[in-house]
Amino acid sequence: MAPELLLDSNIRLWVVLPIVFITFLVGVIRHYVSILLQSDKKLTLEQVSDSQVLIRSRILRENGKYIPKQSFLMRKFYFNNQEDGFLKNTKRKVVPPSPMTDPSMLTDMMKGNVTNVLPMILIGGWINWTFSGFVTTKVPFPLTLRFKPMLQQGIELLSLDASWVSSASWYFLNVFGLRSMYSLILGQDNGADQSRIMQEQMSGAAIAMPADTNKAFKAEWEALELTDHQWALEGVEEELMSRELDLDGMFSKELPTGIF
Amino acid sequence: GHYCLDINVLIIVFTEMRDKLRKWREDNHRNSEQIVDVGEELINEHASKLGDDIWIIYEQVMIAALDCSRDDLAWTCLQELKKQFPGSQRVKRLAGMRLEALEKYEDASKQYDSILQDDPTNTAARKRKISILKAQGKSAEAIRELNEYLEQFVGDQEAWHELSELYINEHDYGKAAFCLEELMMTNPHNHLYCEQYAEVKYTQGGLENLELSRKYFAQALKLNNGNMRALFGLYMSASHIAASPKVNATVKKANVKYAAWATNQINRAYQVTKTNQLPVEELLLRSS
Repeated sequence: MAPELLLDSNIRLWVVLPIVFITFLVGVIRHYVSILLQSDKKLTLEQVSDSQVLIRSRILRENGKYIPKQSFLMRKFYFNNQEDGFLKNTKRKVVPPSPMTDPSMLTDMMKGNVTNVLPMILIGGWINWTFSGFVTTKVPFPLTLRFKPMLQQGIELLSLDASWVSSASWYFLNVFGLRSMYSLILGQDNGADQSRIMQEQMSGAAIAMPADTNKAFKAEWEALELTDHQWALEGVEEELMSRELDLDGMFSKELPTGIF
Repeated sequence: GHYCLDINVLIIVFTEMRDKLRKWREDNHRNSEQIVDVGEELINEHASKLGDDIWIIYEQVMIAALDCSRDDLAWTCLQELKKQFPGSQRVKRLAGMRLEALEKYEDASKQYDSILQDDPTNTAARKRKISILKAQGKSAEAIRELNEYLEQFVGDQEAWHELSELYINEHDYGKAAFCLEELMMTNPHNHLYCEQYAEVKYTQGGLENLELSRKYFAQALKLNNGNMRALFGLYMSASHIAASPKVNATVKKANVKYAAWATNQINRAYQVTKTNQLPVEELLLRSS
């Protein structure tokens, strides 16, 4: 229904490609800046220790079946005992890390905003101003008219199909689209990955609590209480001897060399 | 080439050498003489081509050099690393290791203490201090320190294994078994831990422990059919139980059956080795 517009090929050369380059370079710069501004997160000894204890308790629940019953019970007792079980009785002082009490959190948030949101807004605005007044590209799927004011900033054509978008939209498309390029060039976990950062900020509320340790202990205690010992080695001899041993290829002439 | 070792090593091209070093690094091989040969040549002849890899190679070669008492090489590597990474804790630890190799235990200990002052969570420095105690033959102290360490870092598997070895040396088999249980839980598919556990139980003796040992020898075999030590262990524990006056007829019968099965498998293994003509000692060494 919409007439096919033929865009000036100059647009391709001087608009589309430059925007791609600009976005990419800005992303790379953002990555290196974020590395420079990164503050080391120092964990206290207690936090490291506690996290390992929780892991050990979990392993006991999951793999306790590989050790003898007595050994399992002994460890369960150590963790869950009424009087002096570790999980039951250890209370840690928990300070919820809100921006007010924890100054480093505040600076982290600020740094995050400066390196990510600010450049995006600035560059987006600049591109909109520089490359305004013409259509940049067409998105391959049809859009409704409601998208027009958003995607066609600066183009005052009422009859133009909403699929034709301005350069600002192309810029934002690039910001998200170049994510995989960043992974290729900067490696995983790079600071230019905008969408990942925004995802993190959203789930950040959940992660920001460095797992309230007391709650974690309580949860482990409950889970461990419910765990029973099902010895995995109950019928191991019968299982083993149900067939001959596989001795193929075991005795080759070469022994691997040691240190000398 | 100035070493009368494997000539092939010297003819290998630069990239092969670098890749070999990387493989050894990733697999945690301790083949120190080979590392020293390859690494020294790489550093001396091809340093410029290595780029940033050179730093981790310096570390790898330095540790290997300490193993081979090549203090000259170790010193060179250390100096390069110190120049590039001044004030690095990782480099400090290497300096401490060199002092250990020279048996200057007091100085090494001070070095590690300084690391711990800056970063009390630095596990490497703590473990090196315990190694010093071990090297000085102070087993009781080493055991005590290692226990304290493990109280804080319950997840350190290397430490659990080290502690089990220390206990075995002190003939404290009960505690060694505890350590091995930790390892079996964190590595349920590792047949070697099952086998070591079974051997400790067997050494402890007594009917209950013999039963446990038989079970864990069986488990080790189940995880790895080729574990000959476990096979012999299975045979011996089953025979012992069968020969014991305290067992009833059913148990005796079952264990005789187990021992017979084990004998069968051992004979099969000998058939294979006869064709390859391996001596018994090598057969026993085959635990993987």
